[in-house]
Amino acid sequence: MLKRFLSERPLRLPHIKPYVPRPSDPSIFWFNSERDDIVADVVKRICSAHEPDRHRLEIALNDAAYHEIRRLETQRDEEARDRLGYWRSMIRRIGKMDDVEQRRVLHTIVTEMTRDVAGNFDPRVYRFARQAAPRLIGGIMEPRRLVAAAPESLDRVLKVQGDVELLRQLQNDGSLVFVPTHSSNLDSIVLAQALEISGLPPVIYGAGKNLFTNPIISFFMHNLGAYRVDRRIRVSLYKDILKLYSQVMIERGYHSLFFPGGTRSRSGMIERRLKLGLLGSAVEAFTTNQVRRVDRPVWFVPTTINYALVLEAETLVRDWLMEEGQARFIIEDDEFSQIDRWFAFFRKMVGMRGACIIRFGDPIDPFGNRVDGRGQSLTPTGRAIDPGGYVEQRGKPVIDAVRDAAYTRELGEVLGQRYEQDTVLMSTQVVAHVLFRDLVQSTPGMDLFARLRLRGEVGLDCETLCQELGEARDRLCGLEAKGRVRTSDVVKEDTPSELLERALSFWNGYHDSTAATLEANRVVLRDPSLLLYYQNRLVPFAEEIASPDQLQAACEIENLGVHR
Amino acid sequence: MSLRVGVIGAGGFGLAIAQASARHGHEVVLWSRRDRELPDPIRSSTDIADIRDCELVFLAVPARHAVEVAEQLGEAIDGRHSLVHVSRGLVGAELKTITQVIREKTVCRRLGALAGPLVADALAEGRPSGAILGTGFPELTEMVREALGGAELRVYDTPDVVGVELASATVGFLTVVLAYAQELGAEPGTLAVLATRGMVEVSRIGQALGAKESTFMGLAGLGDLIAAVAGDQRPEFRLGSALAKGIDLSNAVGEAGAYVEGIEVARHLMEHARRLGLPTPISSTFVAVSDGRMSSDDAIQALMERRVGKE
Repeated sequence: MLKRFLSERPLRLPHIKPYVPRPSDPSIFWFNSERDDIVADVVKRICSAHEPDRHRLEIALNDAAYHEIRRLETQRDEEARDRLGYWRSMIRRIGKMDDVEQRRVLHTIVTEMTRDVAGNFDPRVYRFARQAAPRLIGGIMEPRRLVAAAPESLDRVLKVQGDVELLRQLQNDGSLVFVPTHSSNLDSIVLAQALEISGLPPVIYGAGKNLFTNPIISFFMHNLGAYRVDRRIRVSLYKDILKLYSQVMIERGYHSLFFPGGTRSRSGMIERRLKLGLLGSAVEAFTTNQVRRVDRPVWFVPTTINYALVLEAETLVRDWLMEEGQARFIIEDDEFSQIDRWFAFFRKMVGMRGACIIRFGDPIDPFGNRVDGRGQSLTPTGRAIDPGGYVEQRGKPVIDAVRDAAYTRELGEVLGQRYEQDTVLMSTQVVAHVLFRDLVQSTPGMDLFARLRLRGEVGLDCETLCQELGEARDRLCGLEAKGRVRTSDVVKEDTPSELLERALSFWNGYHDSTAATLEANRVVLRDPSLLLYYQNRLVPFAEEIASPDQLQAACEIENLGVHR
Repeated sequence: MSLRVGVIGAGGFGLAIAQASARHGHEVVLWSRRDRELPDPIRSSTDIADIRDCELVFLAVPARHAVEVAEQLGEAIDGRHSLVHVSRGLVGAELKTITQVIREKTVCRRLGALAGPLVADALAEGRPSGAILGTGFPELTEMVREALGGAELRVYDTPDVVGVELASATVGFLTVVLAYAQELGAEPGTLAVLATRGMVEVSRIGQALGAKESTFMGLAGLGDLIAAVAGDQRPEFRLGSALAKGIDLSNAVGEAGAYVEGIEVARHLMEHARRLGLPTPISSTFVAVSDGRMSSDDAIQALMERRVGKE
């Protein structure tokens, strides 16, 4: 009941005097005054796409009713009691409705759905969040220093990398679309904080309705411009609305954020196969502006979010191993919903320097070309080109959904490559890789699941391990020099034994069962599935950082990523 | 409507494309390193900037020149252009496809790969033929049909660009194998088994690299291989025959009369397959033969003694 209340009813602060945005305010400050117009625009475009064709309109209404009835019948909750009757009655009448009636019903459904999706932005909540969030998170990390120096704790934990200055230069000239990797439900919060400390504008983003069940998160989500995505709704109109809403926001210059991986990476691997729906909406936003001769470019910012410790690692890897990964979009019972795990997680993170690194990659246009500070798209040799040429046919910009879908697929490929190059490998991931590779090497011919059952049965000599760690690190630094991947300062600067100690210390005391322990100069592997999760970040590089005798094991590891 | 067509490379295929486009009434400029006498109305150019005004560009250079030419081309083309390549090779040990190279070196994105049993002479003279275009851009297919198609050339299309490129490159190698076997007196049945199982072998690797199996079994793969074996005078065929006559690889390449990438491609494919744990009996055996590490009798015995499984 509480969950439904929180997810259905936005908690908003009372409005005594409406805030009038200043010209210097970020674009999102104008959102509330434009919201009705945005909703109307989305409704108009969706309806006009369906209305001229009675057959298409009828299919859309039937599809909506059918999927909603199916969903509500299985939900059997208050919402089902309220709405099931409406949809059942509608599905019986669709065939008998005349054109006018069908259009009216379509308009009603689309309007309701769009209003449910559209967010809210309250400058007061934004200002509060800016000031209080670092202190709050810092306070969780170090309760004793809640008042004095908590934000410093956050600075110590969260590091921002990349050409932030370039992004600042671009922020007023077009729409920035941040497209990060996705490992944890904390990602959007951490990224919002990274934008704030980098002096970058706030962004709008689609948040899964499951996030709204956490009361604190729900309040902020409702008031900081997030739009709601209910993944339980399978109605195709709803999917169209989500994409178009995102597109319209980008067309209008609202900086946006979405996770092209779709859901959190269950395996811990760097995402390679991306969901192209929202990515496509951003490409179409660019095309639409070109056709309308609106000079508002769209730039994508590939971003990697790198954690030394992942809040929900155990649940995610379990889910991946159960091969439920993609089917189970909403996990409501993971560590994200357990406040004690939050405390344990943040306490562990603060003890470790640079435990979370956000890396903003160089911005690119919708066609994968890099962009300079003046917003010009550049060729590999630095020649400025007009990106509008990509959507021209015989010299005129035209809308062509099939062509834009092809561009979107190409953009997805580019992002996948950029994720690899901009991934910052953390201490836990490098150590886990070396440990897991040793496990594979010492158990030839054994399948993955048999290896994962070897809890506490494999011990590795500490000295040999440190030597292997040193070699792997050196090879990774070699790859970094070629621009293939990045490593954290800790990975670069620690001695191998410090690196090992650091990783063990991260795992011990946070995860239910620790990944590995140090016992009498031997490292005993306690939970190979956790090791697998953390080491999966290195799958694309396994072969290149292996010595000749580790090559066989490295190839086995690399093959785990074939269907990444 | 008349198109402005640019052709890069004045080899057999480049010239044939230029002639076919001109025959269909399009404005054609052919770029090559040296100035050439070309039949009217094809315009010859040595200045890559002349390609700038073309809407459709055909890249017809061997894979080993692709990087260098793409770099030059990168200075002339941009997002307005559509580009189709007709190369049958791959680049380097990483098996980079030509479209990958073009993507890295230029900002052109409307790309396609034209392959299949398309023979330069037939294209130039307008004899009935067919080809397959791998592209994600339907508008590009329409342009290619407009430029080269018509009654004499059927241009099919598929979105599996990487499949077309890999199939086309591996057909070169399989042609060498089949010519070798034919020269040794292999019967039609044996050739059929070699061709079919060889295609399955390379398609497995192709699938691991993102291609679709059906592309290997279509015009880009089996279709092209049938044309090669039926005798469309490919250098790969001459190379295979020369090897079977006992001529060593470097001299056999000379006999072929043109640069043949097939065996190099096979070596790189085997390396990929090893990493992926995929079996490559035909490729491995033939590379051993071409390197002089195995006799033809041993090769046949090694292949025939392998365990037979389900197709």
